[in-house]
Amino acid sequence: MPALKRIAATRIVAQPQVLDSADVPQSSLALRFAADELFVTPPLQDETIITAHDPHAILIREGGFAGIWLPAEEAALFLARNCEWEIPNGRPAFAQGAVASIPTKLWLEDEQVLFIVPAPYAHDFAERMQD
Amino acid sequence: MRLIVDGRPISYEPGDSLLIALLRADIQPTGGGCLCLGGDCANCLATVDGVSYVRTCQTAAKPGTVVQLHHTQKYPPLPQEDEARPAVPARNLFSDVVIIGAGEAGRTAAREAEAAGKSINLLDATYGEEAIGIYPGPLVVVRTPHETLHVHAQDEIIVATGAAEILPIVPGSELAGLLTRRAAEKLAQAGLDLGRVVAIGTPPAAVDCQLAAGELLRFEGENGRLHTVITQTEAGQENRYACDTAVLNLGLHPRNALLRMGHNLPVRAVGDAALESDIPACPNEGVVCPCEGVSVADLETIWEQGFHEMELVKRATLAGTGTCQGSTCLPYLRSFLLKKGKTLQPSFTARPVTRQLTVGEVSAGTHHHATARTALDAEHRRLGAQMERSGGWWRPWSYGDPDGEYWAVREAVSLMDVSTLGKMIVSGPDALEFLERLYPTKVSTIKDGRSRYVLLLNERGYVFDDGLICKESDTRYSLTFTSGGVSHAEMWLRDWAASWQMDVHILHQTMSLGAINVTGPLTKQLLAKAGLANPPGWLAHTKAEVAGVPCHIFRLSFTGELSFELHHPAEDSVKLWRALLEWGQEFGIRPHGLHTLLRLRLEKGHIIVGQDTDFDSTPRRIHHDWAVKLEKPAFIGRHAVERTNKIPLDKLLVGLEMADGPAPMEGAVIWHDGQFAGHITSSAWSPVLHKAVMLGWLHYFDGHLPETVTIDGRSARRVPVPFYDKEAARARA
Repeated sequence: MPALKRIAATRIVAQPQVLDSADVPQSSLALRFAADELFVTPPLQDETIITAHDPHAILIREGGFAGIWLPAEEAALFLARNCEWEIPNGRPAFAQGAVASIPTKLWLEDEQVLFIVPAPYAHDFAERMQD
Repeated sequence: MRLIVDGRPISYEPGDSLLIALLRADIQPTGGGCLCLGGDCANCLATVDGVSYVRTCQTAAKPGTVVQLHHTQKYPPLPQEDEARPAVPARNLFSDVVIIGAGEAGRTAAREAEAAGKSINLLDATYGEEAIGIYPGPLVVVRTPHETLHVHAQDEIIVATGAAEILPIVPGSELAGLLTRRAAEKLAQAGLDLGRVVAIGTPPAAVDCQLAAGELLRFEGENGRLHTVITQTEAGQENRYACDTAVLNLGLHPRNALLRMGHNLPVRAVGDAALESDIPACPNEGVVCPCEGVSVADLETIWEQGFHEMELVKRATLAGTGTCQGSTCLPYLRSFLLKKGKTLQPSFTARPVTRQLTVGEVSAGTHHHATARTALDAEHRRLGAQMERSGGWWRPWSYGDPDGEYWAVREAVSLMDVSTLGKMIVSGPDALEFLERLYPTKVSTIKDGRSRYVLLLNERGYVFDDGLICKESDTRYSLTFTSGGVSHAEMWLRDWAASWQMDVHILHQTMSLGAINVTGPLTKQLLAKAGLANPPGWLAHTKAEVAGVPCHIFRLSFTGELSFELHHPAEDSVKLWRALLEWGQEFGIRPHGLHTLLRLRLEKGHIIVGQDTDFDSTPRRIHHDWAVKLEKPAFIGRHAVERTNKIPLDKLLVGLEMADGPAPMEGAVIWHDGQFAGHITSSAWSPVLHKAVMLGWLHYFDGHLPETVTIDGRSARRVPVPFYDKEAARARA
């Protein structure tokens, strides 16, 4: 069964304009889950890039998501079988919605795709990848 | 090349469909009825390679195919399979336009769409792609021999499925030897000898036949086979035509079931599928709907009963709901209603699917609802826990010794994985005002580092969830909710925050945080060993490390014993769990499951929202008036609570006890003087109290609650709750 691994990240809920202009390190993967929510992996070292601009921002150490990278071709086949919505054509791209009936976030690159699911559903998701 | 038909091998020719192969061998799949060879009628169905209701006219003959005929009233034999068939995979396709039917009209529509720069998916049953339903999206579901396609249309769906031939409805139309014109042409082209042929209407091309004069009256036959066609002239004279085959050209009606499914969706028909239907002469006798066995006499009866609308006729008779989905009967139903009501009524609606499907095809691309697993799931299973689904999660029901687990809580120390609890953070300048409006408690009186049990009420003043508010600062609060209720609660919070335009941030962190409840009289000793020398006091909370794991520690109790909930990053759950279990050995620690928790909390009279509450449970009805502060100017449900408080109570959630076991089943009826008096919501045998304890809804009789009632034929007594440790001395120790 494919193994999804917990992702160490920082999850941030803050004013959208603060997130728009947040100076997230270039080496990080920053995914905008919602207008007011940002997911950064690896975890932010300097939280003041957010809190200095929004003192009420919520930043938590986030280990509640699990992920797996798949080669683009394998990912496309799995998505064709299990995704009822159209994947964006451009790369890189971020998309989110139900995949195999599990809430999933996708980070799509030219050569590979990162599937991120809530860790409590990682077991079921892995089973469905195997089907 | 051979097929196996009912255990007997028959030969076929290259290019034959199963039906043509059967007819070559002089076999009628369902014993008779007019054959269309267009996939429209239900007269060629058979079970093919174990799959029932296969249209043999649309299925290519292949070596070794096993065919079982539907001998009995056109129904298939019961399946004899012991092994499950493999799952049918689904595949999703996306385009601007989906065109169903690759005939001339479909190809034209495809060219036009492409010329307009649209991406297209062109589907056709002759490619093995059979569109079987249209759903909102819009989405076309397509059956193929190996998979189910979900074809999504961005702009529109074009139905170009052509027209079907009208089948005869006269006495004798169930005989073998009847063909539509197109069917006759196909069989002649395949080289079948049709014998002596009589044509009604325009004769088929390339088939030698005698043209019958006059209006078709009936067919006559012997042993299920046609031998004579009888027509009637305008002068009333009957003509008899001896023959082996009758070929009928009675007109066309559009194959538009998919179009009719697409009501209010961007679906249109082109070509023959968009034609107005020919309306045949109204039949005087015979079976109008062969699939459901609806006769002309049946239609006359329901007309007399007042069913005059097409949709009502369909529902009253089930005509059109069978295998062919109205392909045979629909033109005749319209003809019947036109004759009776003098108005041509539109076709009835259609719903997916157009064909019988296998369970595998129906379930293609679907999954059962995923059940969440806490970070400790593998630990529970390793410890031999019996796992149960509860509130959308897999949770340990018991680790094999519920009584031992129970006494560990009451007399020593125990752990429970409560990671499933709903958890959110609300932060922002308006956080206090937001929560004041949301909750019926006075949030402003909660001090930093303190928490409070709270109810969530809807606008009607009914309880729909409960949990804790924990104040971290004037602008930041942690909230907890029930495991099964947190998703709804999140929507509730977000909706109201948006409606009130509150300047707050909301973070749902249920899946991010693990939570372990450490409970029992020896809890403090264990936590001290794990590094927590100064645990928070009753209803206080603090942040500290336990066993090297950063925890947010809440002092509360659902078990009735000293308890601390340790909320921590989910990735540290295993480390914390193992450390506590190891260090707790000297205190007799053992984890407990839901089975034990349900008994413990019941002894304390703690309700479970959703189990002990109903959709109309007000705080007063569950003895939680104390959690509602009506002196507050505004909160959701306030007006409703104020109003319902003025209405005399008609029922109350009460505590009941019974001296002898076993405890009644949850849901058991409560009786008083032979009258229904309510039902039990929670019930368990209390090991510490040596009696059955229950919560249940009890009705008032003449303004009074009965003191004694009968449950399962045994006497029970109404008592105040909690049943155990009424002063809460143990929980607050």
